[in-house]
Amino acid sequence: GAWPRVAMEASELWVGFVGAGRMAGGLVRGLLQAGKVPASNILASAPSDKNLDAWRELGCRTTHCNLEVVHRSTLVFLATKPHILPGVLEEIRPAVGSHHIVVSLVAGVTIQTLQRLLPPWTKVLRIMPNLPCVVQAGAMVFSRGSNAGDEEAALLKSLLSSCGLCEEVPESYIDIHTGLSGSGVAYVYLFAEALAEGAVKMGMPGALASRIAAQTLLGAAKMLLETGEHPAKLRGDVCTPGGTTIYALHQLEKGALRATVMDAVEAATNRAFDMAKN
Amino acid sequence: AGVLAAHKITASSPDTDLPTVSGLRKMGVNFTVSNKDTVKSSDVLFLAVKPPIIPFILEEVGPDIEARHIVVSCAAGVTISSIEKKLSTFCPTPKVIRCMTNTPVIVREGATVYATGTHADVEDGKLLEQLMASVGFCTEVEEDLIDAVTGLSGSGPAYAFTALDALADGGVKMGLPRRLAVRLGAQALLGAAKMLLESEQHPGQLKDNVCSPGGATIHALHFLESGGFRSLLINAVEASCIRTRELQHLADQEKISPAAIKKTLLDKVKLESPSLSVASASKVSLFTNRSKKN
Repeated sequence: GAWPRVAMEASELWVGFVGAGRMAGGLVRGLLQAGKVPASNILASAPSDKNLDAWRELGCRTTHCNLEVVHRSTLVFLATKPHILPGVLEEIRPAVGSHHIVVSLVAGVTIQTLQRLLPPWTKVLRIMPNLPCVVQAGAMVFSRGSNAGDEEAALLKSLLSSCGLCEEVPESYIDIHTGLSGSGVAYVYLFAEALAEGAVKMGMPGALASRIAAQTLLGAAKMLLETGEHPAKLRGDVCTPGGTTIYALHQLEKGALRATVMDAVEAATNRAFDMAKN
Repeated sequence: AGVLAAHKITASSPDTDLPTVSGLRKMGVNFTVSNKDTVKSSDVLFLAVKPPIIPFILEEVGPDIEARHIVVSCAAGVTISSIEKKLSTFCPTPKVIRCMTNTPVIVREGATVYATGTHADVEDGKLLEQLMASVGFCTEVEEDLIDAVTGLSGSGPAYAFTALDALADGGVKMGLPRRLAVRLGAQALLGAAKMLLESEQHPGQLKDNVCSPGGATIHALHFLESGGFRSLLINAVEASCIRTRELQHLADQEKISPAAIKKTLLDKVKLESPSLSVASASKVSLFTNRSKKN
């Protein structure tokens, strides 16, 4: 049959999610928070109701049928687990048309693979978000496939900028983004935990220490983003000669924290790359 | 640097066989074996003996110190108050300035700081600053920072030489001839230091500017970080500073090693390394309103 003409206005956009897990949930919450797309225009599919309950609570529509999502949406987010995706793509392939914009959140699945498993005219984009999209403080990078043009990229960017930082990159950066920011969120949690533990050791109650640790990270990050200054300079600004900060930093340097962090980013990036190969 | 004419400089050492002595003579510096003569013919007196010797020198030349003299001590760990105390038995208001410099003054790229004593005027400090600024960077500091300066720029050249030796080894390992490796390594550090001094940017930013994504430099830096490069340098500065304080503490308690005492026999002193070069600035009008001795 005839498909409805694509409306590029976000408010008239029909958005679908195939897969309704944590990452998809983060994105949709961000979208809704920003008020770009009404919940009633969002349809999500998942095999069980386990995840879908939360989506319905947000006002989204839900289904167990992936094809329905594709039929009723223009912008389709693929958010399944990596090993599930090939099967899902085979299932929805007949319903994918040239008006669709398919955006994959699936870790480790390259644009090349997506384009291979979808009709040749499909507009494909690949995005790597991170969890804080949920609180509109995410960091996302996306790349476009052969048929995705400036319009699609601009649409995606405008929709998702409400969730945080959203930048288009060459696909080769996506694994690096995983190592830096996708997994990076976990490094920060680890650091926050350690900070708080240090404070507890020195006599502060845990709950208070945790809140202060989180606020410290938030505040420092905010200053970085807002001043645009080099982190080394901001660090120097905090270090009064012979003061507490420089003493503490010396400890961090003794522990080769910098190298360890670099190792972490490298390990996660390499792992992402290896997983994508398989 | 052309700030002083050589004939206005007098240097003394009990040992005339030192290689530095003939070097100074060749430059036209007046040389004497008498410390007293040096004091008498000078306005600005640099004490450049080893720290344990300072008290003995002060005893020796104390009677000849006059109000006009500016006594500049370069001895590590020797406090202004200890010098003033020693001299006050001879002169009621001795002008003392303590300075800490470093070896690259030889090539006029020294790093010098000074602290003025109780009776030294602003003018006296400025005179010293002008002299030392001719051989590098010179600025005034509070005396309690001098130990830290020792740890950083006093010992600093040694850290740099060590780094350069190792960098050259790296070059040699990767196929460069030694001489070229040393030359390139030194130039790299010189250039980097110059860039930093001439730039408004933070060294971290300058570092970033050299590191292209996924490139050679960032790979190398990762190795440095893994080895705790930064903390090693912090440790070094700290160790040198702390040791300086220790030595100063020992000196304050006048715990001089027997070996040092042996060396201070005033009639026959043989210092192990050149520590002479007491300079004078008589007849130099660096300040037009300064009265000069004729």
